[in-house]
Amino acid sequence: MISSKLVTAVTFLYLFCTVLYFNYLAFRSKRLGDFAAMATWTAFALHTAAILARWIESYQLGFGHAPLSNMYESLVFFSWCIALIYLLWELKLKSRILGAFTLPFAFLTVAYAALSPGVSDRIDPLMPALQSNWLHAHVITCFLSYASFAVSCGVSIMYLVKARREKPGEAKGGLLNLFPGLDSLDSLIYKTIAVGFPLLTIGIITGSAWANYAWGSYWSWDPKETWSLITWFIYAVFLHARFTREWRGKRTAILSLVGFGAVIFTYFGVNYVLSGLHSYA
Amino acid sequence: MSGKSDRNLISSLWEALSSLRLTIGLLIVLAVVSIFGTVIPQNAAPEEYLRVYKFTTYKILHILGFLDMYRSWWFLLLLALLCLNLIACSAGRFRLTLRFLSLPRERLEETEWKSTSPKKSLSLKGNPRDWISPVQSGLSARFAAPKIIPEDGTIHFFAEKGKLSRLGAYFVHLGVLVILSGALIGFFYGFRGNINLVEGETASRVTLRNGEQVPLPDFNLKLEQFSVSFYSTGAPKEFKSMVTLRDEGQTVLSGSIRVNHPLSHRGLTFYQSSYGVAGVDKVFLGVKEKNSGKEQLIEAKMGVKTELPGSPYAFILTRFIPDLQGMGPALQVLPLETGRPHETFFILQNHPEMEDRRPGAYRLQIREITPRYYSGLQVTKDPGVPLVWTGCLLMVVGFYLSFFLFHRRLWGRLSTRGKETLLELAGSSHRNRIGFEQEFEKMVQALRAEILAPEKDSPEREEQA
Repeated sequence: MISSKLVTAVTFLYLFCTVLYFNYLAFRSKRLGDFAAMATWTAFALHTAAILARWIESYQLGFGHAPLSNMYESLVFFSWCIALIYLLWELKLKSRILGAFTLPFAFLTVAYAALSPGVSDRIDPLMPALQSNWLHAHVITCFLSYASFAVSCGVSIMYLVKARREKPGEAKGGLLNLFPGLDSLDSLIYKTIAVGFPLLTIGIITGSAWANYAWGSYWSWDPKETWSLITWFIYAVFLHARFTREWRGKRTAILSLVGFGAVIFTYFGVNYVLSGLHSYA
Repeated sequence: MSGKSDRNLISSLWEALSSLRLTIGLLIVLAVVSIFGTVIPQNAAPEEYLRVYKFTTYKILHILGFLDMYRSWWFLLLLALLCLNLIACSAGRFRLTLRFLSLPRERLEETEWKSTSPKKSLSLKGNPRDWISPVQSGLSARFAAPKIIPEDGTIHFFAEKGKLSRLGAYFVHLGVLVILSGALIGFFYGFRGNINLVEGETASRVTLRNGEQVPLPDFNLKLEQFSVSFYSTGAPKEFKSMVTLRDEGQTVLSGSIRVNHPLSHRGLTFYQSSYGVAGVDKVFLGVKEKNSGKEQLIEAKMGVKTELPGSPYAFILTRFIPDLQGMGPALQVLPLETGRPHETFFILQNHPEMEDRRPGAYRLQIREITPRYYSGLQVTKDPGVPLVWTGCLLMVVGFYLSFFLFHRRLWGRLSTRGKETLLELAGSSHRNRIGFEQEFEKMVQALRAEILAPEKDSPEREEQA
């Protein structure tokens, strides 16, 4: 299938982009940064083409459904969302500094889809429970929120690295000079979560609306549901903790890391470790 | 005396309940304990637990409520505490917010002018009064229509935007409460059960999860037809029950129930949840006589004596097994041959070669089985659902207000400084400070260009005069 080959190509392109962004950090050359951004836009365009190609291929097989229905397709889409959200932030902030800490997530996710033998790229017909328009609303909002949280995780890592090195009285220097100040990073963590949290909420709501149509229950404490709620609790803690003095800064950055850990567990862990209704992806 | 200490106790309790620390603590505890319910299987049968846990462990988990954790008293208590905390927090602050919004601070004191940032000032020619309308129209175009307050020769301006953003959190919190109250209503007044029906059967009651039976209110449900379609891969594509609801013989509703397309009537909703083969309607068999090699096709019914035309042989199909030990559909046959003991045997649809090994005068081959399906319907009554969706909507509106709007306020004043007029502008935003500073800067630039533009022309006009 062309789409699978495109996905493999996109995987290596994202790796290349990640390397470029790290080089940009190291050499601080504007041209290198511009080149990295251009490469990322190219990878993103190819990535979009890969998703569309797979969509067309599913019609050629006679099933005809949007490529959002199994582990492989969701990984490819997750990676696409990370790249999209990153590129939008890059445009908004007019800074290429987050690339080195965000694109690795896009690379790792799509690499897992393309290279892991455990993830099959076969296109299967949709089982009856998945034949619903809620599928699109649910998957799209969830993965956009996960992608926002991935970006906030990247920024949190930057914050913690910088906060560790930048002790009072020590000379500043090296790579970290290029980083935005701790306050800007802190507010950026907040902003990315302020995008991700409403999206996660809508993702949970669309999921429960769908469950109500398919299974007659909007909430059944299925492990996937519960873990998405746990993730929601953690980010709710983050949002409330920012109002208190003692939680600001380092602790909220760590909370954002914990939150992304919960996102990853909701996505992968539940499928591999726990069992439940939500077994497709 | 005791009244006073009571009041102290109540107020300190209220204070504890309305603290943000309690919110954070409760959310963390809820997140952590929720994990247990995903690791320990919930509501499983005792023997399943005993396969994994020792008896004492099972007993302890059972007593502590970990086996039906999300309905255990302590989990519900945590949720109730969170609700109280939400109410206490919101109620206290809501009054302040309302006052803040209905009585905006339209005029800054001198000390506040000093402490507010961002801030900009412009020197203008002439009298402050001449600048009122340019500033007013400039602010209206670039920000929001200002309120004008003249005071002792100084003219104050006040404008604000995104006021509703301050209410966002209340919407979200109200949404959470409404969702939980919907869940509570569902818990007390709702039920979930099942109906299994074979085509042609009628049900008038629902079997609940605990085995209890509940009558359908004033109607019964007949399964007219059930159909399954498959993809070319063999995976099920769609299963559909055609049903009729009747009230005292009168048809009130007929329609189809498919996965993702439930049917509702009188507060009950019917979902397609499962299906299976209940029996066989018709069977077409190929019969081959061993001696003559003659082959014919006959139709047989279950449980009825079937005679082989033009021969003394007859048999009864006694049993249908949808899947016999992984070998696929099978029929149990009781041959009725005179002079021989009646011993049953199986014929397999997917393994006709097995028949060749059986002694006897004829061979049977299953050509087609028309199965009779049963349809598994889930029946749900949940009067809390509309409240749950209302709560969700409130939350989404609340998120929009609090994350995508910012309350921004702008103060201005025109005052006389010597022979000139001084225009001072100051602004504040309750969130996104950096973004607001940029907006403020841009707005002041635009305002300057706009209101100073006619002034550029004025010296020329003076010269002409």
